[in-house]
Amino acid sequence: MRTPKARGKPIDAARLRSWHDRFEGYRVAVTDDRIRTWLRSFRGQDTDLGARVLDAVMFLKPENMEAALRDRVGRLPGWHKSKTRRRGKWRFVAFSISAGESGDSMLHRSRTALGLTGRQHDELYIHKADLMRAELGAEDSVVFFDDFAGTGQQACRAWHGDPEKGITGLAELLPGNPKTYLVLVAAGQRAVERIAQETRLSVLPGHVLGPADNIFSEDCKHFTSSEKNSLLTYCKRADRRNPRGYRDCGFVIVLAHRTPNNSIPVLHANHDRWRGIFPRY
Amino acid sequence: MTKHSKVLVVEPVGVKTLRTDQLQANPYNPRMLFDKAPMQTLEKSIKHVGILVPLTVYQRESDGKFFILDGQRRWICAQKLQMLKVPVNQVAEPSLVQNIVTMFQIHKLREDWELMPTALKLDLLMEQLKEKSERKLAELTGLDVAVVTRCRKLLSYSKRFQDLMLDPDPDKRVKADFFIELYPFLHDRVVAKTPYSRPDLTQKMLEKYQSPHGGIKAVTDFRKAKQHITNARKAGKLTALSRRLDEFVEKVELTPDHLLIPAADVSAQARSLHSTVEKLHDALRKLDVEAYVGEEDLWSALESLLATIRKCLTAAGRRVKE
Repeated sequence: MRTPKARGKPIDAARLRSWHDRFEGYRVAVTDDRIRTWLRSFRGQDTDLGARVLDAVMFLKPENMEAALRDRVGRLPGWHKSKTRRRGKWRFVAFSISAGESGDSMLHRSRTALGLTGRQHDELYIHKADLMRAELGAEDSVVFFDDFAGTGQQACRAWHGDPEKGITGLAELLPGNPKTYLVLVAAGQRAVERIAQETRLSVLPGHVLGPADNIFSEDCKHFTSSEKNSLLTYCKRADRRNPRGYRDCGFVIVLAHRTPNNSIPVLHANHDRWRGIFPRY
Repeated sequence: MTKHSKVLVVEPVGVKTLRTDQLQANPYNPRMLFDKAPMQTLEKSIKHVGILVPLTVYQRESDGKFFILDGQRRWICAQKLQMLKVPVNQVAEPSLVQNIVTMFQIHKLREDWELMPTALKLDLLMEQLKEKSERKLAELTGLDVAVVTRCRKLLSYSKRFQDLMLDPDPDKRVKADFFIELYPFLHDRVVAKTPYSRPDLTQKMLEKYQSPHGGIKAVTDFRKAKQHITNARKAGKLTALSRRLDEFVEKVELTPDHLLIPAADVSAQARSLHSTVEKLHDALRKLDVEAYVGEEDLWSALESLLATIRKCLTAAGRRVKE
């Protein structure tokens, strides 16, 4: 979470411009009008609170995401851009696919970030359905790409499947026990710990969101208890079920291609009672 | 001995005991779901008499770890009973093919398991053994031929569609049934003549299925679509069908009923009626009249039928002979 500006700092043209510049490139254009309309959703005295929440938003642009992916993959033991200098076989796979945005999009970004756009690198990039045929052994490595993990619940379920329901997990596709990495742009600390504990995936997030990144937690010192209570009232209006964000994560992170649902709903909810600045559609 | 026997049989190494915690489940069989009642019976038996049949294990050369080929339930019971050691029959590390075949043979596939991972294993077997016969693959794996056929249908789709059946979020996975039901529609000869490639058609049908306003509400809707196409083809209504097929593919909201060509539908019913008439005709020709002479209800029904037939023929302008 970024440090918000001091309380009472005017919402002037310069501040508007700084938000505008920082949030440029979101899938839905963040215009001055949109910001003003959003701020008007806060009652008079709370407008400053809304503005400070916007200050605190951690917005990751495509170049930030690429840098994170480049950095994480670059540190993997045995990895080298040159095939002859790599240890074992390497395969890159999208983790989530159904939305066609997160895993797929990160996989694509990794090609540009790592300078692997040439055809000679095509063999690195495979589908999940190719994993079994790839016959990867203990010396080999599979790198899964995704954008975000909030609590790790989805990744753990994805890994193990759900035997009670006859649902298979990713582990079944990797019988040769290769080294498995999950490279993420960002992740909650809870997610990193849980995935590491419950699966064979080594999680490598570009940014880790700790307890202080939960805007409602006591560890977050940027907002007072009273401000947190007020914010919660607005969040409840935005999403009655998950006012603190999915699984109570309370994050204020926004990725240029989509806001994670673990972020607080005032940022992304979009319905008659609340119009977020960063809708997820 | 079949032509594959040599490559499929694992070689024995010897019987010994191993520490229970030295063993690991076979990574080719992560489907560790066993019925509770038989497990409790087995646990009781092991508690009383120990493990009488050694587990079959192999040692992985790359890291020295032991994996269970057969005896996963005995191993689970031994862990519950806190047995420190278990008897094992060690075999040589199986090849990939041997391992997959063994797993198929030992662990009967539950019907409700997702099919795609099974299809991928079958794909590996086909590739390694250069075997394409569904009957032979069924014999090798112990799977029903029908299951092998279904797996092969799934494997006919491009990887991006196969991946949709493997989405990490099980709630977002496209069920294999969608692709299996779609298969006959995609491979219909009339559909094949449309300007769309199979991947394009698959994508369009997926959108029709997944969109809240899409015209495919259930995977069985493809059967209806196929039926309408077949009827239209048999009735020689291909021009009308072709136009409707294009519209059906392009407009997400159109249901399979859009492919129903009324005239073609009548033809289908006529063919069905014709077949019934032929069956009745055949039965009547073979009828031993003397044997049935006392069956009054039958003769009354036939008289009534004759009257109806005369009426229909007259109405259709046919000459009715007395």
